[in-house]
Amino acid sequence: MAGSPRALRNAEVTVTRILAIEDDETTAREIVAELASHGFEVDSATDGREGLVKAVSGDYDAITLDRMLPGLDGLAVVTVMRNTGIETPVLMISALSDVDERVRGLRAGGDDYLTKPFAPAEMVARLEVLLRRRRAPVAEAILRTADLELDAMRRTVRRGGRELKLSPTEFRLLEFLMRNSDQILTRTMIFEAIWGYHFDPGTNLIDVHMGQLRRKVDTPDAPALIQTVRGSGYRLRAPA
Amino acid sequence: MRLRDLSARLREPRPYLRDLRSRLRELWGISRFRLTTMYGALFALGIVALLALIYWQTAGYMVRQLDDTIRADAQTSLTQAPEQVDDWIAGAMARDVGHVKYYGLFAPDGRRVIGNILSAPSVLKIGAPPRQFALDPSQPPDIRALAVKLQDGSTLILGRNTSQLRQIRSIILHALFWSGAVIVVAGLGLGAALSAQPLRRVQAIGDASARIREGDFHARLPISPQKDELDALAAIVNAMLDEVQRLVSEVKSASDSLAHDLRTPLTRLRAQLHRIDQQPDLPDVHRDMLEEAIEETDILLTRFRALLRISEIESRERRSGFGLVDLGEIAGQIREMYGPVAASRDIALDMQISPTPVVDADKELLFEAISNLVDNAIKFTPDGGKVKMRAVPTPQGPRLEVTDTGPGVPAEERSAVLQRFYRGSREGSTPGSGLGLSIVAAIMRLHGFELQLQEADPGLRISVNCWPNWAEA
Repeated sequence: MAGSPRALRNAEVTVTRILAIEDDETTAREIVAELASHGFEVDSATDGREGLVKAVSGDYDAITLDRMLPGLDGLAVVTVMRNTGIETPVLMISALSDVDERVRGLRAGGDDYLTKPFAPAEMVARLEVLLRRRRAPVAEAILRTADLELDAMRRTVRRGGRELKLSPTEFRLLEFLMRNSDQILTRTMIFEAIWGYHFDPGTNLIDVHMGQLRRKVDTPDAPALIQTVRGSGYRLRAPA
Repeated sequence: MRLRDLSARLREPRPYLRDLRSRLRELWGISRFRLTTMYGALFALGIVALLALIYWQTAGYMVRQLDDTIRADAQTSLTQAPEQVDDWIAGAMARDVGHVKYYGLFAPDGRRVIGNILSAPSVLKIGAPPRQFALDPSQPPDIRALAVKLQDGSTLILGRNTSQLRQIRSIILHALFWSGAVIVVAGLGLGAALSAQPLRRVQAIGDASARIREGDFHARLPISPQKDELDALAAIVNAMLDEVQRLVSEVKSASDSLAHDLRTPLTRLRAQLHRIDQQPDLPDVHRDMLEEAIEETDILLTRFRALLRISEIESRERRSGFGLVDLGEIAGQIREMYGPVAASRDIALDMQISPTPVVDADKELLFEAISNLVDNAIKFTPDGGKVKMRAVPTPQGPRLEVTDTGPGVPAEERSAVLQRFYRGSREGSTPGSGLGLSIVAAIMRLHGFELQLQEADPGLRISVNCWPNWAEA
């Protein structure tokens, strides 16, 4: 990923800074290593108080926050942050996977929630989505990738000027892919974003839906835009 | 109680539709009922014998008495002078205010001289013992009489009315009938009343066993204050269940903590494999092997996640996320979600959702359960088959059914498929954690909804009664 256009663009403009608040040493090391390998600059804190001080004073693009911390716990940290007007996107990380916990974390001001143990790639993918949302806080009405154009207001999709007929689900799926183009989206992220549920959907649900969308979007005569990233998920990307 | 009866009862799905015959057979199976009825029958037989003896003795005695009287009468008549016999008869008849005496004096030529017997009955022979006959063929033979030859050659018939005998017989028969009826009814009634309690207890034991069989290891067999042999047996079974529960919870917590502990290193392993996979200079043959390893790791992780999901659902606070849920809305989402999955395998996904009242449930969990059911149904249906989802209102609440045209589940495997990790004979090489239905069962237990597996011929029908039934849960 180091050579991806995204990383290059980041390097040109400004370095993306992430704060990792995590008390477990191994997990913290893992997070730092993974983020650094994706070209992020990472700062870390090992307890809630230190994390909160850094979050309030430093200039970070996103924060990963452990839910259970000694001293001040994750929920309190994010609550205080939001109350003092810090709007930095927060990815809550927790060993508690129950829906109630997720709801509590998001209600306190977290932007996304990831259950331990997690695949580092999943964490990066989720952070990327949060960063993207922060960079473009106002949702664009018309999205473009190569010759694919999606009008979110009029709910139309065109590829090379030809209109595509998509079902509502396919439309939502494509919109999610296009709003996060160039980013890897895991199956779990897609399932949560499209249907809003948080369980293991089983079998090959996402693959079937993606296959259906792909048949309509990627016709044999045009270059493929929807890519399967082996071992991770999917990505919509303009051909190089 | 015989164990075979008990186990047969347990195997029966529900006791509602039992007809009278099997109900009686069931009553008969209860020792107390059997004893009471047999005692009643014996008692009735004794009464019949007693009354018959009384009748026999009484009738015999009365007949002998009568015969003696008639003979005495005949002796007296023979002592009369022949020409005074008719006067004697007239006098005797005049004194007989009760009209119990019968006389007939017939001249040697057969002409009747006097008496209330109008013609000489042919059954009576001179010198024979008294016999029974009817004055008139339309009447019962109520007269007992004998015939004597007088010195002048005329025949005298002397008799007594025996309708008393018939009356006594009818009184005794009536007594027999009514006492018999009372004994039979009272015996059966008493038997049934005495058996009601053991029957209720057997029912309670059956219900408790059904709950245990469905995986509720907290349930125990009821023990009555009587401390009889049934209670002794129940106490033994309960002690056994305590031990089973302890072992099961030990196994469960061991497997949960195993899953929990292994998840972290497995996730790290998966991440490490993924990182290696990202290396651009990997030889293809190694990459293939690596991806197989990643796939296997993913399967393991899926299984552990599902296992932990079950214990998470089981340990959940009841009602914490409950609200009013519209099954129609869920069905709409299910169709949208699984329609393409079914279509990709040429399976018809048929939804028949009647408007049903809202259900008190945790929407996320209920959706998870229903999607698991539909996912399973599609998984086990061969290409080109059909999966049907129905929501129908019933008096108690909505009932949801998911039917597939797959190989079905044999009756003896049906409760086992709801257990963790059970992969029934139909699974074969089908992918999956084998935990889908266990997750559904855990969710339904949390809601108190009843989950039933039925033969759909061909295929399997899983239905969910969307109303809480804590007694059954």
